[in-house]
Amino acid sequence: MERRNTEAALIPTLQLLSYLIIALGALFMAFKAGSLPASRWEPMNAGTFPQIIFFSIAILCGMAIIFEFSKHGLPRTTFCIAWRSLISLKTVIINLVLFTVYMVAMPIAGFIISTFAYLLTTQLYLAPRKPTTVAIAIFVAILFSAGPYYLFSEAFNIYLPRAQW
Amino acid sequence: MTDAFLVALGGVTEPYTLLLMAVATFAGIVAAAIPGFTITMAIVLTLPLTFAMPPMQGIAVMLSVYVGGLSGGLFSAALLGIPGTPSSVATTFDAFPMARQGNPGKALSLGLFASFVGSIISIAVLIVAAPPLALLAVKLGPWEYFALIIFALTVIASLVGDSLIRGLIAGLIGIGIATIGPDPLMGRERFTFGYEILTAGIPFLVVLIGMYAMSQLLSELEPATGDRQPSSGALISGDMRPHLWQTIKNILLKPVNVIRSSLLGVFIGAVPGAGSSISNLLAYDQAKRASKHPETFGKGEPQGVVASESGNSSTVGGSLIPLIALGIPGSPADAVLMAAIMVHGISIGPRLILDHPDLVYSMFIAMAIASVFMLVIGVILMRAFLRLLNVPKYIVVPVVLACCAIGTYTLNNRLSDLYLLACIGAVGYLLKKLDYPLAPLVLGVVLGPIAETNLRRAFQTSTDWTLFFTRPISALLLTLAVVSVIYSIYSYMKQRRLMAQRLEATSK
Repeated sequence: MERRNTEAALIPTLQLLSYLIIALGALFMAFKAGSLPASRWEPMNAGTFPQIIFFSIAILCGMAIIFEFSKHGLPRTTFCIAWRSLISLKTVIINLVLFTVYMVAMPIAGFIISTFAYLLTTQLYLAPRKPTTVAIAIFVAILFSAGPYYLFSEAFNIYLPRAQW
Repeated sequence: MTDAFLVALGGVTEPYTLLLMAVATFAGIVAAAIPGFTITMAIVLTLPLTFAMPPMQGIAVMLSVYVGGLSGGLFSAALLGIPGTPSSVATTFDAFPMARQGNPGKALSLGLFASFVGSIISIAVLIVAAPPLALLAVKLGPWEYFALIIFALTVIASLVGDSLIRGLIAGLIGIGIATIGPDPLMGRERFTFGYEILTAGIPFLVVLIGMYAMSQLLSELEPATGDRQPSSGALISGDMRPHLWQTIKNILLKPVNVIRSSLLGVFIGAVPGAGSSISNLLAYDQAKRASKHPETFGKGEPQGVVASESGNSSTVGGSLIPLIALGIPGSPADAVLMAAIMVHGISIGPRLILDHPDLVYSMFIAMAIASVFMLVIGVILMRAFLRLLNVPKYIVVPVVLACCAIGTYTLNNRLSDLYLLACIGAVGYLLKKLDYPLAPLVLGVVLGPIAETNLRRAFQTSTDWTLFFTRPISALLLTLAVVSVIYSIYSYMKQRRLMAQRLEATSK
């Protein structure tokens, strides 16, 4: 049984945690599937197949937890290491937040405005601060917000979301 | 049959379709050449553009992106030393040294012509293998179909990623996601928890875009680690002339390598889950083993470029064999092709070739034409691609993410799909970070409803569950599924033993 240092143990710890969360979620779904009403027309009802699948997931997660423990023992990491790893992913997290805001804003602000704002903000955040990159960012934001809108509406008769005001 | 072929030929060779195919091939090459932009992403982003096209035209355009994409990785591999896609990792080994020695034109033309030969060989195998397999598949019952899907999922789970158990969990999560919404036989609502957003289920393309494109793009923003291959920094200079005639002569006078690599690529492409990312490495390895001068590999050996590029390009024909003959996509890219056909109301399965032979023939013809386009465009625009490779990440990532949003919205014109995309993308990234392979998950979403439908049909026909083990084909497929799991466990244990031995040897 090998012990790992706190840094290397971060991913295995998170994996163990993920097995546990997935197993619990799968068990919940399996019981939910079991409560679906039986069918008069077929031996398997609508819930039987999902029940098999979710129970299988829970069993596999249980097996994964046992294997992980038997192979490496309890992985030990610290909150500080986890926090440091999270901080190193700052760019990814900010981009994910920006994208989520973009998705939520699109139905209200419409495709053109939300896409322009999203592209400009993200590029300005990611790009080095130089007059050329700002100009490029503005050009790209205009091109890829207005361009697809008019391409889809004029060429394919598909209308991307319009602003609600 | 002849009528269907002529209809297909007429449809694909219409000038407008040819023009669209040429543009799509170019787009596929450019997309795959940009590091971080995968072929699957390119195909996903093309899908909404094909909605307004007739099925034959739409599928021809998608296949052109696919064929172009498989050779596009060559450009960044040869000129920057970075594989544009996982399918061109082995190309980097020899094409980059060759380019640095002052022969970038030769490295590119070798790769392009090898890709062309690989594609043509794979199309020939596809034409020969798919129709008889489809005729056989029509006779399969629900027991065999269910067993086939179990087999496909176990193979995918054992081939992709580092852990079989995480692969299986991911595949089953995919099937679990597919059970949300109406059940496939009776339409009964399941697991919606009263949320309207879930009543129609989770469209598999939203899962695919979220899991694949978003997680990949977000990974591109992570700080670079030591194990990432460094870029050369500067653009390659040297002889950019393609020397095409000499290249053709070189490849055709030594045909064994290109044929072996292509057939290997076709075979690997036909196995669900194993795709061009594996075939290029295996073909390269085989070429090195068979060579009389293995020491030249990795130092600009032309046969290395030929093996890798013919190996990855030939997977396209191979991967279409299970899709056309059985209705089972072997990779996420094939799943998008499947969606492109289904969007037009055509059901995928073994009857595709019987009910819509013109569409299937048009796929064969489109692939052949796209291969020619790939070669011609690649050779002519070699110099231009050199400039395109330097598109910075700060433009690529947000623009492609915005395109993902467009693709998701236009699938069903539903705003709620956008919220699903953001959630699935975040979960996909998290799973990727935790080393869960995403291909089994995505294919689980596609294959889940087929598996459930066939399982329930089997029990509607007879409640005797032993039929799964007593019907020969079903029993064979289930045995193969068990064998693939056992083999995967055996290889894993063998690998661990070897690593332990090496560690022991180094510590002495």
